[in-house]
Amino acid sequence: MAGATAPALADAAVKPVLALSGVKKRFGGVVALDGVSFSLRPGEVHALVGENGAGKSTLIKILCGIIQRDAGTITLDSEAYDPHTPGDAKKAGIQVVHQEFNLLPYLSVAENICFEDMPRKAFGMVDFPTLYARARKALDAIGLGDVDVRRPVESLGVAHRQLVEIARALMGESRILILDEPTATLTARETERLFEIIAALKAKGVAVVFVSHHLNEVFSICDRVTVLRNGQSVMTADIASTTPDQLVTNMVGRQLAAAMAAARDLDKTGRIALSLRGLRHPASPHAEGVSLDLRYGEILGIAGLVGSGRTELLRSIFAADLPLSGTLERDGKPRRYQNPKQAIRDGIGFVTEDRKEEGLILDMAISANVTLASLRKVSRLGLLNKRAETLLTQQLGGEIKLKYGGASDAVSTLSGGNQQKVVLAKWLANDPKILLLDEPTRGVDVGAKAEIYALLRGLAEKGLALLIVSSELPELITLSDRILVMSKHRIAGEVARADFSEERILNFAYKDERNHGHH
Amino acid sequence: MDTTDLTTAPAGSRTIATTTKTVLREAGIGIALIALIIVFSFTPHFLSSSNVTNILTQVTINLVLSIGMTFVILIGGIDLSVGSVLSFCAVVAGTVMTLPGLDPVMAVFLATISAILAGIGFGLLNGLISAYWAIPSFIVTLGTLNIARGAALQVTNASTIYSFPAAFNAFGSKTFYGIPLLFLIALVLVAIGWFVLAKTVFGRVLYGIGNNEEAARLAGHNVFFYKVAAFTICGVLVGIGAIIYMARLNIASPIIGIGFELNAIAAVIIGGTSLSGGRGSIVGTLLGACIIGVLANGLILLGLSDFMRQMITGFVIILAVILDKYRERLTKA
Repeated sequence: MAGATAPALADAAVKPVLALSGVKKRFGGVVALDGVSFSLRPGEVHALVGENGAGKSTLIKILCGIIQRDAGTITLDSEAYDPHTPGDAKKAGIQVVHQEFNLLPYLSVAENICFEDMPRKAFGMVDFPTLYARARKALDAIGLGDVDVRRPVESLGVAHRQLVEIARALMGESRILILDEPTATLTARETERLFEIIAALKAKGVAVVFVSHHLNEVFSICDRVTVLRNGQSVMTADIASTTPDQLVTNMVGRQLAAAMAAARDLDKTGRIALSLRGLRHPASPHAEGVSLDLRYGEILGIAGLVGSGRTELLRSIFAADLPLSGTLERDGKPRRYQNPKQAIRDGIGFVTEDRKEEGLILDMAISANVTLASLRKVSRLGLLNKRAETLLTQQLGGEIKLKYGGASDAVSTLSGGNQQKVVLAKWLANDPKILLLDEPTRGVDVGAKAEIYALLRGLAEKGLALLIVSSELPELITLSDRILVMSKHRIAGEVARADFSEERILNFAYKDERNHGHH
Repeated sequence: MDTTDLTTAPAGSRTIATTTKTVLREAGIGIALIALIIVFSFTPHFLSSSNVTNILTQVTINLVLSIGMTFVILIGGIDLSVGSVLSFCAVVAGTVMTLPGLDPVMAVFLATISAILAGIGFGLLNGLISAYWAIPSFIVTLGTLNIARGAALQVTNASTIYSFPAAFNAFGSKTFYGIPLLFLIALVLVAIGWFVLAKTVFGRVLYGIGNNEEAARLAGHNVFFYKVAAFTICGVLVGIGAIIYMARLNIASPIIGIGFELNAIAAVIIGGTSLSGGRGSIVGTLLGACIIGVLANGLILLGLSDFMRQMITGFVIILAVILDKYRERLTKA
């Protein structure tokens, strides 16, 4: 048990429930894990942090039996643990909430939650009353009282899907619960609720592995932390004896602080690039819609809870969904886009929230993705000029510090941060005047995040107008010149840069929620 | 910036993997075809010039239909109607060609145009219905399969049309150094199809839509247009296929072309194109059609019954897809 990470074992008075030592895994020529040692004590919340590609996902997949390790030992209660299927892991009491959703979209919420152990009646028929009751209880336990368990999962938003996934994992009796980026799609309130659940589990002696990019979360709920870097465990420490800076330094070897602190010159904003008056998305329950003005050189942040209509606002500007009513003016001229193509021609780009579903064509080459919205620039008379395409990719790749092998590599070979940069490059290739960005750093590691922040700032300085939707308030506070807070598809309030504070923004975001709760 | 080299190092090896992946895909199918030819060349007559001509003749129609099918499958669709539509195009063309009072050249010309127009008509119908109402093309083309067959029977009153101009018959059986003229025409169509898919913006967007329709739409591409276009291209090739069929067999009948769609789909799938769309190539389709043709011919020469032949062809289709899975796993690691 002589692990490489001395700090963890120095005070290993408590017998670990799970212990890994020297775990290695390679995929073909790529080393994913290169000696990971890690121990988990009963009743602790242990954070696992590291940049994308550091090996967190691989480690989790090994623990839950999706893939097998090449070398190293794993013990569960001092006995060798060697799961070959996810079923083995479940039998051993290890439950995982994966980052990617594993839900069955056309089945109901209740069927999803109870899928592993459906209540039965005679002749194998499903006992629906019990099924719904169990699911109801599971949802109430995590504060989803307003979701009908009979609804199909496909009708839920991402945040709710994530919570259903968590409810499902909690159905089984688990000794170890692994949460992979559970808060990525949650708002502050839902996250708080999750933390209460984690605290309750902890009190019952369940050991929780908490994977997160959000260091503030790590510091608020975890007992210990292990940092992975480049497939190795480089540090394990008690939370009380470390600092966020120390973790970041261990994760990336460089500081994000510089990027976060850099001030923006606020007086450079120019004329109005885009003006909305009462723009109403079909999903909006209110007739009044959204009104706002976006200026050249400005970064306008849109805050709000998941489901407050932020994404829908961007989609109705871009004509990804056609607005029901309201007007849109571009450079003072009224416009009514019928499809994204017209919006793009008018100088608008849209970095979508879900890059795998809407932003990228994963199996296609990096260059093909970069030029997807600007094929005219790299073609003549309908014929592709592959050299021009490669050159454009290399040029933009250099500008945005894209780390890649070759322009013809599939985008799926890139890390999350670099994939996001490809999405940005796709729009930059088109020389947009306005960029709409929905969660621009979702699932992106700290290093790439700093680079994307710098890039977005640079674009605003060049005179582009940026409209950024984000669930991460520190991100909006860092980037924005001004923040509009949405609630129930309306602008609930505006916060000027001088008044930025999480509290103020959240007050606006919850305004309607609170009123709602009173009647 | 100390992580830079860490991330680029594995990326370099991925470049090689990606390149080998594309090459492997087609090379693998090519090797399978060559292996088949070698195995069958032990039977007498297989490599005789008359038999080679025979194989190429048999491959031709399926190859033409498979080109169109590749376009449709690449955008994630399927066209089950091609066999019936071929029959409809043929009877339309046959009717035009045998109109009294036309000189032979004009008759053949007008018949060809009408066959292609009939094919375009059904292609548009398939494309417009499936794209406008977002109905799976499997269902729409299952419908048009019946419509076209019924229409062909109705138009001809279930009778066969024959006695085409002599020059047309001669055209159908013409060969150059043992290679049928009709096969050469099919090769030209292969070349055009390859060019469109590999070299044009149109082709690139088709691949994009097949891979991720929403991403393509949000990047400003008119998905509706491309879907309709893919089905229409398939219709054009069905029209051409009908003329080739008539030139070879000198008949046009409402009961021809039964099951042709399945052979075309088989050729596309054996050729490595993914049924879920977005991945594949015309070169693969060419090789796939040749594998089916060589297999059918070789098995006859081996003296196997028609029934055995059909069973073996079925196994080969499944085997091809299984091998494709392994090839993918091999190159993904």
